[in-house]
Amino acid sequence: MPVLEVRNIRKTFGKTEVLKGIDFMLEKGGALSIIGSSGSGKTTLLRCLNFLERPDAGVITVNGETLLDCSKPSTMSESQIRKKRLHFGLVFQSFNLFPQYTALENVMLAPVLLSKENHVKNFDRSALKSEAEELFASIGLSDRMKNYPHQLSGGQQQRVAIARALIMHPDILCFDEPTSALDPELTGEVLKVIRGLSEKNTTMIIVTHEMEFARDVASHVIFMDSGVICEQGNPQEVFNHPKEERTKQFLSRYSNS
Amino acid sequence: MQTFIEQLPVVIGALNVGFLQTLKLFAVTLLGAFPLGLIIAFGTLSKIRAISLITQFIIWIIRGTPLMIQLLIVYYFPGLVLHNPIWGGGEQGRFTAAAIAFVINYACYFSEIYRGGIQSVPIGQTEAGLVLGMTRRQIFFHVTLLQMIKRIVPPISNEIITLVKDTALARIIALQEIIWAGQAFMKGSHGISGAIWPLFFTAFYYLVFNGIVTVLLAKFERKLDYFR
Ligand SMILES: Nc1ncnc2c1ncn2[C@@H]1O[C@H](COP(=O)(O)OP(=O)(O)O)[C@@H](O)[C@H]1O
Ligand SMILES: [Mg+2]
Repeated sequence: MPVLEVRNIRKTFGKTEVLKGIDFMLEKGGALSIIGSSGSGKTTLLRCLNFLERPDAGVITVNGETLLDCSKPSTMSESQIRKKRLHFGLVFQSFNLFPQYTALENVMLAPVLLSKENHVKNFDRSALKSEAEELFASIGLSDRMKNYPHQLSGGQQQRVAIARALIMHPDILCFDEPTSALDPELTGEVLKVIRGLSEKNTTMIIVTHEMEFARDVASHVIFMDSGVICEQGNPQEVFNHPKEERTKQFLSRYSNS
Repeated sequence: MQTFIEQLPVVIGALNVGFLQTLKLFAVTLLGAFPLGLIIAFGTLSKIRAISLITQFIIWIIRGTPLMIQLLIVYYFPGLVLHNPIWGGGEQGRFTAAAIAFVINYACYFSEIYRGGIQSVPIGQTEAGLVLGMTRRQIFFHVTLLQMIKRIVPPISNEIITLVKDTALARIIALQEIIWAGQAFMKGSHGISGAIWPLFFTAFYYLVFNGIVTVLLAKFERKLDYFR
């Protein structure tokens, strides 16, 4: 059974139809890369999965549980959505760390608040802290935990943002162009962390323009164009033997760079 | 004729009483206008168009007319128009009327600053909180509020320093604040008349008060310097 099943997601902003019926599946431990030109709807798709946008139609199923079914409005109340969105994590292009908290506090804040919301008795703060410290070790920032975001480089901030998402133990971790806001020399350190996650079989969806990286890490690739999935398959098929003309055109723009 | 040395304690005593009233008006205005301003700010940001338009209209009226007129209207309207002099004739009634006019006026100025502060916090902060499963309430108090405060401290500080001097406007409804107390010695009070020097002392009170307020606000602003 797939971890994630997305069926017929549609989203319209005003008069523009941005997603025109998206269907795909993701196996546990798989890494799905989504590629496609700017404006094709990749961000909107991730935002729908994370309930930042409400699709107009479609069904999202995680581990066999229907999280969202647009034909059943009862699945879309605010408090329900808050629990459901924890199945997903999202790493933003612009990091969005909380500036008034240290890197460590950024990572620990959401679990602490969640335990308060759920009235957890004897919440084990020290266990949470050691888990956070382990995460910092895994992203290579053990010596930066006490720093505020503005004291960190973009690459370091993005790695903290990844740790902040990981501590919530999402079933599926989504990345929206995680290196697009970074200077070229800083993309490597972030990609290395994501690569490490894929080696540990973290289930991920990665929207990226780093084609080489997508080919290496992905178990499955989707090429999106104008709100539809134009082509999908394993990285070999999509990158080396694209069938669709639009895929070939898109890839040719990256091949000589 | 008393000597200056004999007059001085009398004048200082009277000015202190007046200054206490000034200080009280200052404090009550801030205590009332800080929260009321936030409510008005949420009003202008309301998704319900009628609420947003009505609050914007009120802000336009209050910011578009002199505080002095608002003081006069709040104080005299109930007695002269409604024939119901709810404030009574005493100092307490004058203070209440002045406080109401000041709170409403400053709340409207604060609300516009708050609104700017709320809107200046990037939407990505809220979205990051949502994605991590925080409630809207938690996001407001634990994520956006402090960032908003940091951004509004400089403009709010300006308003607070203006308020120190604006309290003198309450003189128009004969509130016995410090300028009223100083001026009394020109007309004649406590056996002293025709003396202008108490007014210079009055000015000195304002300078010291404003100096203290400025230093405290700068200190607070520096406290929030640790993040960007
Ligand atoms: N909130 C919005 N309101 C209106 N149009 C939007 C909104 N968000 C995205 N769009 C439009 O949807 C299209 C797809 O955007 P997006 O999902 O960001 O694409 P991508 O991430 O692939 O670049 C674009 O044309 C964009 O202008
Ligand atoms: Mg995008």
